[in-house]
Amino acid sequence: MEETIIAYRFDRLEETLSQLNKANCAIVAGGTDVMVMHKSRRGVPPKITKPIIFIDHLLELKQVNQNGNDLHIGACCTYSELLRDPLIPMPLKKAIKTIAAPAIRNRGTLGGNICNASPAGDTLPLLYVYNAKLLLRSVNGDRIVPICEFIQGVRRVQREPNEILTEIILPSVLEEGAHVVFEKVGNRNADAIAKVGFAGYIRTKGAVIEDVRFAFGAVGPTMIRSNEIEKKLLGKTIPVTDMDIAKVVAAFDKIIKPIDDQRSTAIYRKTVALNLLRYFLTNSTHIQHI
Amino acid sequence: MIKFNLNGRKIETDAPPTARLLDVIREDFTLIGTKEGCGEGECGACSVFVNNLLQNSCLIPIGSIDGAEVVTIEGIMESDQFKILDESYSEAGGVQCGYCIPGMVMASAALLSQNPHPSEDEIREGISGNLCRCTGYNMIVEAINMAAKKGDGLWKKQ
Repeated sequence: MEETIIAYRFDRLEETLSQLNKANCAIVAGGTDVMVMHKSRRGVPPKITKPIIFIDHLLELKQVNQNGNDLHIGACCTYSELLRDPLIPMPLKKAIKTIAAPAIRNRGTLGGNICNASPAGDTLPLLYVYNAKLLLRSVNGDRIVPICEFIQGVRRVQREPNEILTEIILPSVLEEGAHVVFEKVGNRNADAIAKVGFAGYIRTKGAVIEDVRFAFGAVGPTMIRSNEIEKKLLGKTIPVTDMDIAKVVAAFDKIIKPIDDQRSTAIYRKTVALNLLRYFLTNSTHIQHI
Repeated sequence: MIKFNLNGRKIETDAPPTARLLDVIREDFTLIGTKEGCGEGECGACSVFVNNLLQNSCLIPIGSIDGAEVVTIEGIMESDQFKILDESYSEAGGVQCGYCIPGMVMASAALLSQNPHPSEDEIREGISGNLCRCTGYNMIVEAINMAAKKGDGLWKKQ
């Protein structure tokens, strides 16, 4: 006797939230990770033990709007929808273009990439340097959590069972003098899981560095960012001197501890991660000079 | 019961909501033009259109597409666009073993309907989610380029 699989697909977010409050469910957005994770034999449906709740069709989760300096992105916007949206900043679009291929971009969602919390999640390094904040909603109300606190480890997030990630908020995306870069290294241009991901953010006033942020993906259980190292560069002038670059690279050398796996080796990952950092510091701080 | 539109026909299925669209169209509706390659969304052999968007049917739980319009390779075979693609793939030698071709043709049709005059880079990007182990891709790229020229005016921009 086959077990019956329970699945819900409500028209409204409100109904979805009240169902989540009643029972612990597996939330499925685009499903591009879930379906692979629970893959079974050909012809046999993926085995997901909890009841399922589909959310990717909910219009409330598909809006993008600019609110003052902050950009609010609905968690169930697909990558293709974000690529077409005029409000999405270019560096984020550039990052999205490196994700998967057209067919998956038509299904995969930004919220899904966050909640899946893969160490190699493609959008994560960039969302970390944007200081993204996440809006979580439940029947009890809303709360906002910085992405670096929300993601706690490999596939571990700080989401209560009755909550849904509804919005990704990018604060101050329109700030002047900011330069954002995203790099991904993988085996194939399309559909590859990253060996290394890197995002860099730098904001200058004149030649003075006012803010600088770096995040590395796929080189640890989750994204690596260090406020302490970033601080070393604040107030310095660009171009950054070779000595300062060497100091920053050496500091990250100590805290980046990648692993060997089927996709790459620890030594390769570390070398490439530090090279991307060096390249960013050498080149991006020159661009600002123009 | 999950209801959706398959190649223009209203259908119902009692398959479980997590059943893959790929299995439902192949096994319950015997539309076997859509192939399974990797089963993980990396090869594109199972590409179909869902609400006019190219998607990997191996990654779609049918419970998530209630009410959607699904079109498989069989659903486009009578169209003029398909005939142009068919001719172009033959002429360019884009087909060898043929396993990837239904998915390639779906990806080609999706690309050309959004971008009727793609550059070579855009063609390669358009089929970047589809793997072919025989041709080395160049003949497929040539086929799509040929289809764009032969079918000029046929691929209307959406």
